[in-house]
Amino acid sequence: MSGKQPAQTYFDIDKRKVDFDYLRNRLKIKHLEAKKAFAEKYPHVEKFLAKKGVEIGKLREHSAKIIGAGALTGSLLLASPASEKALPSPEALDKGKLKAEGREADLPQKLLVDTLGEFLPQKTRPLTRLEEKFLEQAFESVMGVKARAGLEGEHLNTTYGLIGAEQHLKRFPGDSVANHKPFLKEGIAPGLGAWGYFAPSKDKMTRELEETERWYAVVQTLYLPDWNSRQPYLRDWYKYRKVLIVNTQNGNAVIAAIADSGPAAWTGKHFGGSPEVMEYLGGPRYKKGPVVLFFVDDPENRVPLGPVDYNKINLPSLALRSL
Amino acid sequence: MSKLFFDHLIVYEEVEKGIDRVAKSQEERDELWQIVDELVHHRALGFILARLPRAHHEEFLEKFHQAPYDEGLLDYLKEKIGENLEELLREELGGLAYELLEEITGSEQKK
Repeated sequence: MSGKQPAQTYFDIDKRKVDFDYLRNRLKIKHLEAKKAFAEKYPHVEKFLAKKGVEIGKLREHSAKIIGAGALTGSLLLASPASEKALPSPEALDKGKLKAEGREADLPQKLLVDTLGEFLPQKTRPLTRLEEKFLEQAFESVMGVKARAGLEGEHLNTTYGLIGAEQHLKRFPGDSVANHKPFLKEGIAPGLGAWGYFAPSKDKMTRELEETERWYAVVQTLYLPDWNSRQPYLRDWYKYRKVLIVNTQNGNAVIAAIADSGPAAWTGKHFGGSPEVMEYLGGPRYKKGPVVLFFVDDPENRVPLGPVDYNKINLPSLALRSL
Repeated sequence: MSKLFFDHLIVYEEVEKGIDRVAKSQEERDELWQIVDELVHHRALGFILARLPRAHHEEFLEKFHQAPYDEGLLDYLKEKIGENLEELLREELGGLAYELLEEITGSEQKK
């Protein structure tokens, strides 16, 4: 007899599945208890929120809707009025202006860092449309990268937030951390990225896909207010979408491809970067820090993934000194 | 950003790592994240309302409904409660993180 006894079939159940179900059930029980206790103790709060059409479980969605609506109308100012500063025009980075200020010899990166330090709030928050527009122009002038906070009508919930270190992603079945030299200590994520394997098998991997995993970014697509209602369009739109990530503290910039969804809102982070992305943005000990993240406007797929070394470029709009 | 005014008090990196170890797919991970998120909301709001005098509940809820992301709400609450709510809430949510980690460890020991 080749089959197993019915009583032995439980051996075939995926152990990880059991762990997941067990944890989900435990957390659900805990959640239901908290929900019940809350409803019993604060019925007036439940009533108030129900009248407003808001569920406690969907507070984040409610917040995203308000912020999104505010960003569209340009009326939302999350910083207190006292901390609002008038933004300079992108021409502030212009050669003539810099010459007049005796800063002509400054490296573009230093100019950008000084500008970001002066005009971005210290604490990360969603930027106003005006602030985003200024940064779009500044990045294009200084780095030569056409990056946009909103592209083709899509916009993340925030473009100025904290990025955290992620692990490598499995690119194909059987992939292991040993294949991701030289950054081995970061390890490889136990699960797959939001879009699964990059290739169905090792021999189907391409140079382009290798680069995509090497320079990957993580954004919080799951918290987009329309994420669930606009499927599968949004899922396809975000897959490997190029983004420009700028470390606002040192000006290091990298072009990355979105390859996973996260981090969870309760980690205090808003974006994630592959070991290679994080190394370039802040060095080997860089685990978390403020960045600006914009979509790259690259319809012809000409912008390569990887570091943006803008100290070595020379743009007509800004006569840059080569290193 | 899908931000809530107390988000900066929640730093559950270890919980996230634990969930990553258990969840096999993005769907599983998102589902666990969502449960944790809702649990945090109930715990945080319950903690705040227990300290805020009943007379101020509606006013607070109105403000919270209008701008759930506004960290200025913590100043409002500090004023009405008269305690360092930020620190107390941080402790409360830290305790919840510990409970969650225990649940995750428990599920891993089921292997």
